[in-house]
Amino acid sequence: MIGDMVRGLVTTIKHVIQRPVTIEYPEVRRPVQPRFKGRHWLHRYENGLEKCIGCSLCAAACPVEAIWVEAEVNTDDERYSPGERYAKTYEINYLRCIFCGYCEDACPTEAITMGHMYELSLYVARRRDLHQG
Amino acid sequence: MSETVTIYLDDRAIEAPKGMNLVDACKLHGVDIPVFCYHPKMEPVGMCRMCLIELGFEQRDRTTGEVVLGEDGKPLVRWFPTLQTACTQVVSEGMHVRTTTEAVRRGRKDIIEFILTSHPLDCPVCDKGGECPLQELTMDFGPGKSRFLYDEKIHLAKRYPLGEQIYLDRERCIQCARCIRYVEEITDDPVLQFYERGRRLQIISTSEPGFDSKFSGNTTDICPVGALTTADFRFGARPWELDSAASICTHCPVGCNLTLNTRLDRDAGGRVIIKRVMPRQNEQVNEIWICDKGRFGHHFTAAPDRITTPLVRKGGKLVEATWSEALELVAGMLKSAGKAVGALAGPTLSNEDLWALRRLVEGQRGARLGVWPPTMTGGDLIAEVGVAQGTNFTDMGKGACIVVVASDLEEEAPIYWHRVKVAADRGATLVVVNGRATKLDRYTRHRVRYHYGDEVATLNGLLRQALGDAAPDIDGFDQLRAALENAPAVDAAAAQAIAGATDLVVIVGGEGLSMAAHGALMQAAANLLVATGHVGRPNNGLLAVWPGANTQGALDMGFTPEDATHIIDNAASFEALIIAGADPADEDPRAAAALQEAGFIVATALFLTPTAELADVVLPRMSFAERDGTFTNGERRVQRFCKAIDRVGESRADWQIFQQVGAALGQGRAMPTPGVVMAQIVERVPWYAGMDYPTLAEVAPQFPMVGGEDLYYGGTMYKNAGGLGRQWAVAAEQASYQARVRVPKAPAAPKPGKGELIVVPVRLLYDQGTEFYKTQLVHRRVPQAYVALNAGDAARLSVREGARVRVRLAGTEVEVAARVRASVPEGVALLPLNLGVGPLPHAASVGTVAVAEAVGA
Amino acid sequence: MGRGAPHPKMKAGRDVAHIILRDLDIPDIWKFDVYVENGGYEGLKKAVTLTPDEVIEVVKASGLRGRGGAGFPTGVKWSFIPKDAETTYVAVNADESEPGTFKDRQIMEGNPHQLIEGALICAYAIRARAVYIYCRGEFWDLTHALDARIEEARAAGFIGENILGSGWSCEVYTHLGAGAYICGEESALLNSLQGLLGQPRVRPPFPAQKGGGLYYEPTVVNNVETLTNVPWIMVNGADAYRQFGTEQSPGVKVFCVSGHVNRPGNYELPLGTTFRELIYEHAGGILDDKGLKGVLTAGASAPILPGSAEVLDTPLTYEDVQKVGSSLGSASVIVLDEDTDMVWAALKMVRFFKHESCGKCTPCREGTFWMERVLSRIHRGEATEGDIDLLDEVAAQIKGKCLCALGEFALNPAAATIAHFRDDYARRVSGVPESTAELETQAPIEAPVAAGD
Repeated sequence: MIGDMVRGLVTTIKHVIQRPVTIEYPEVRRPVQPRFKGRHWLHRYENGLEKCIGCSLCAAACPVEAIWVEAEVNTDDERYSPGERYAKTYEINYLRCIFCGYCEDACPTEAITMGHMYELSLYVARRRDLHQG
Repeated sequence: MSETVTIYLDDRAIEAPKGMNLVDACKLHGVDIPVFCYHPKMEPVGMCRMCLIELGFEQRDRTTGEVVLGEDGKPLVRWFPTLQTACTQVVSEGMHVRTTTEAVRRGRKDIIEFILTSHPLDCPVCDKGGECPLQELTMDFGPGKSRFLYDEKIHLAKRYPLGEQIYLDRERCIQCARCIRYVEEITDDPVLQFYERGRRLQIISTSEPGFDSKFSGNTTDICPVGALTTADFRFGARPWELDSAASICTHCPVGCNLTLNTRLDRDAGGRVIIKRVMPRQNEQVNEIWICDKGRFGHHFTAAPDRITTPLVRKGGKLVEATWSEALELVAGMLKSAGKAVGALAGPTLSNEDLWALRRLVEGQRGARLGVWPPTMTGGDLIAEVGVAQGTNFTDMGKGACIVVVASDLEEEAPIYWHRVKVAADRGATLVVVNGRATKLDRYTRHRVRYHYGDEVATLNGLLRQALGDAAPDIDGFDQLRAALENAPAVDAAAAQAIAGATDLVVIVGGEGLSMAAHGALMQAAANLLVATGHVGRPNNGLLAVWPGANTQGALDMGFTPEDATHIIDNAASFEALIIAGADPADEDPRAAAALQEAGFIVATALFLTPTAELADVVLPRMSFAERDGTFTNGERRVQRFCKAIDRVGESRADWQIFQQVGAALGQGRAMPTPGVVMAQIVERVPWYAGMDYPTLAEVAPQFPMVGGEDLYYGGTMYKNAGGLGRQWAVAAEQASYQARVRVPKAPAAPKPGKGELIVVPVRLLYDQGTEFYKTQLVHRRVPQAYVALNAGDAARLSVREGARVRVRLAGTEVEVAARVRASVPEGVALLPLNLGVGPLPHAASVGTVAVAEAVGA
Repeated sequence: MGRGAPHPKMKAGRDVAHIILRDLDIPDIWKFDVYVENGGYEGLKKAVTLTPDEVIEVVKASGLRGRGGAGFPTGVKWSFIPKDAETTYVAVNADESEPGTFKDRQIMEGNPHQLIEGALICAYAIRARAVYIYCRGEFWDLTHALDARIEEARAAGFIGENILGSGWSCEVYTHLGAGAYICGEESALLNSLQGLLGQPRVRPPFPAQKGGGLYYEPTVVNNVETLTNVPWIMVNGADAYRQFGTEQSPGVKVFCVSGHVNRPGNYELPLGTTFRELIYEHAGGILDDKGLKGVLTAGASAPILPGSAEVLDTPLTYEDVQKVGSSLGSASVIVLDEDTDMVWAALKMVRFFKHESCGKCTPCREGTFWMERVLSRIHRGEATEGDIDLLDEVAAQIKGKCLCALGEFALNPAAATIAHFRDDYARRVSGVPESTAELETQAPIEAPVAAGD
């Protein structure tokens, strides 16, 4: 019986000295794997122009139809991307998104990638916030 | 198509119509030969070299002509040492073709690799991506990897406007010349050309304004790459994102089959809108083509100034109201009006709408059902001797004769023009009877000119000359013969052509004619057909170029232009008028004043038109894209159209509105769907027997096949899955038909006095019509209001090109710019309708033209 | 292999009697009077006493073959014209644009009436009422002179209504091209004559058939030199003509010799003369007595031949040149000495074809463009060994797929130089070329033609 007690205590003590598995989120954040698929980023070239050309291939690849793209023509006065076409509307419906990453694979200009951010409770003011930098 | 030859396709014997192109013959037997430059509607040119095949012929003994047999008893085949292009071959007896050998596969791969060396491979941003023949064939036959260094690619203009409607991407162009050949060979607008040579070979437009053709949009369908795109759809959507709905064009009586491509659009507030209009194949109606008016003139459906709620006049102003309020008001007013109810039905009301409107008016014991505009008549003659079932311009060639009277077909019904022109190319004899030169004149030696007002006499003269001494045993012929005694000799050669024709179609327009004069002209045309025995058979009969898309349907449903004139003439005697989808106040100078006198007016409308502004209640109607229904085209083909987009605001379909009013008046329960309304039409209108919705939706295989997996063959136009429609039979096709001619009674021709001209109002395709003009893209093609004069008249009146002049005619006066044109006959002024100078009469009348300053001072 | 009989007085050297280049024998024969004094227009006079079919028979019997390059029997070509054709035309191909070819120019300058006479005889034979002489755009001065010669002939009654009382009427017109090599191709020439873009047509229908010729009527298209032979044949008879040349290639031919030779120029010689005789005897041998590296037999169009003994002893006939892997073509012999860099030579020729491709058919338009890109890379010394094979493959890929002969010719410069002179290529890809200075002097690198607008 004492033996059982000791065994129990040992177990307890072992856990007392063990590091906790929980973390103090949000003060502490757990690092994610390099290939973690978090929130999407739309990228820009170094000159500030958007990489996205509004081709809608991400939308076509999306298995849950979470992406909505509408294209428009760049003009010299109003230029968003280097070529002729840019995405006038780019929306991702995060209620639908399943973070599968197909959009990344489909993108011909590497404009969309999935980042490490998983805190999605935020207001996205379209173009400005969706683009990195 | 009767005679066939046997060819051996991949060692399989097949029968093919003699003289058929080899690519087409293979297609008929399920073997696809890839092509870029070849198109089944055009002559082959053998440019792209994609259709390479192995070709051989059976050897024949020179002396005996017998096929030489080999040791195995099979015919010896002499194969060409190199691959041959299939498109430049027509099938002939003993031809051997191999399409699946290694050499052929290799050849195709080589050609694809060559084409891709200069192609930008920008499929992600290309509008054609997803429905691109080059993409398809690259996937099927391409090498998968190019040995051409990407950095050595040629770079050219990506966004070169051929005109404001069509953009050219010079990098994507593969120089197949389909567009050039289409406008040159088929539509005869030689405005596209090749420029330079070799790798620098480019498409250019040589016209001002650029790409000046009424069929320019069709080139984007047959372009095998994304080189040609319309400004309307450029970057509008990816093809796979589009939904499609079968529809019918509402701009003219041809009734072109359309497919409306729709998609949600953020700029339209998240609504689904029409993104583009595409042709839908119907070889009996529009083949695979549509005109630019049909292709681009869809923006009115999404126009922001559509009426979205019912409007009721309160205190002299139209204010928004609820449907129940408005319907109650209308029902009350109709009830108190009693029998003094009349209806005017506009040109785009569907058969269901018309039927419901008729039931509503007749339920109130009203008798006047008018079809708007009341410019042409003769529905009874169409019902008697209209073009017979199975008539198809595509089948007309040598031996056939097409007479076009009083119509500038290209402006009034472009696809009729297109098909008549191609029939003439095929050898059909064309007789153009008109008061002035039109583009159709180019394809015939028989150009019969008349003085405006002598239309009927001219046709009578042709008939007299065509008949000679013949005296057919036809009811009424003796009286007609007596009446023809005085008919003038017109054109012996043209009369000969008519007399010698195996098939005869007479197309009657209404240019410069009053309704009464048009009726007489229709009778004269009918006489021509009946007396020469050209009725009741396919490819024979009468065809009217009606002013509206569903004028024929309105006539069939019991609406008449005579009633419409009666209503306008006696507006004060109507206590209630229902004006459905029509705008008399904007089109007829007398109507605006007349409608003021009418009692209660209820109008269904898309926009707050001048007529709507006169109304007491305005009800928002649905456009054709928002609802189902049927139209009957000029050839009496009843065709279904389907809902493509959601209704705008609270708009309702006309048939719904009229039934709901009827229900409120106790005329019985409203029918739930247009199909049920149609079922009633089928029951009550004898011509429409059997034309229920499922029947109208039936399809049959058509040649050339388009819209399948082989977009490289026909183009990106849609295959017809929505129904080919049904044509109703005219009296002349019935066994009981008694041929009959009547003496046409033409009203007196206008006789200009000294210093006066005959002012002839003419219809233009591109005008400021309420619906069409909502398309911004076409505004540059719509001319400023003008009057066209002959050089002699202009000199006499001291009018220079471009001068402002005042035109006075039939109690109306307008100020427009002058144009001096050689094509205008002496003593005539052509005044286009609908160019924004207010209502004009439709009939030619005596008038004056004077320089504006002189009058103003 | 039958060698042709020697030209009558050719060996004598001084008083050579030419059939075509008679301006070398008789000064001022371009003048109408001089031409007539020396038997001019006798051929036409004789022809109109015969029936058209008899004229065709004489030309057939002479074995005259087209001198423009294809070598098609002329009489046979004429006989293809349907006998019941209402309207027929003669189109004379004077669009002499093959590199190294300059015979037609000399004929039209020196002996123009003989061409006009030949064309008229042809027109009579096919009952044509109009002859069109299509001259290359650069021949504008020559064409004006030709117009004057035509007027002289008309004034003398050889052109116009009821010629020589035969009841047959014919007009002769000149037409200037706009400087496109492709318009020397017969169907492109016809398109250009009609005012259309100079691009070849699909055949069949051939020019001699209804629907294939000028204004879609049956048409004979003959080269200047071909027709210039005809008056002599009419006067002297088919047998007299056959005494020159070989069985399959009878008659005489003007050989245009250029390149690294001491005496470049036109040499009218019987067919069957060997390369050796032509280059070393007539043209005076190679410049500076260097060795022979290669010979182009038909300007840029035919495959280059190596300067081997076997080639040198090949008689210049249609059949023999074919046997050694090239073709006689228009017989414009360009001689290249041992110092010539064949990559440079090939690049020049490929550039020419790329520039002159009409662009109508894919393999030629894209293939010449591609070959030029690869070849200039090789020439710049920026290529790898694999690029030589690539070039060869691209050339092979063009072969047999083109709409007209231009594309099929265009692959020859690359394919044949790789076949015979691969070492020259290997030097280029092995790294730095031997001397960059040499490169610069040899290859004037044209600026890439700006395409687009």
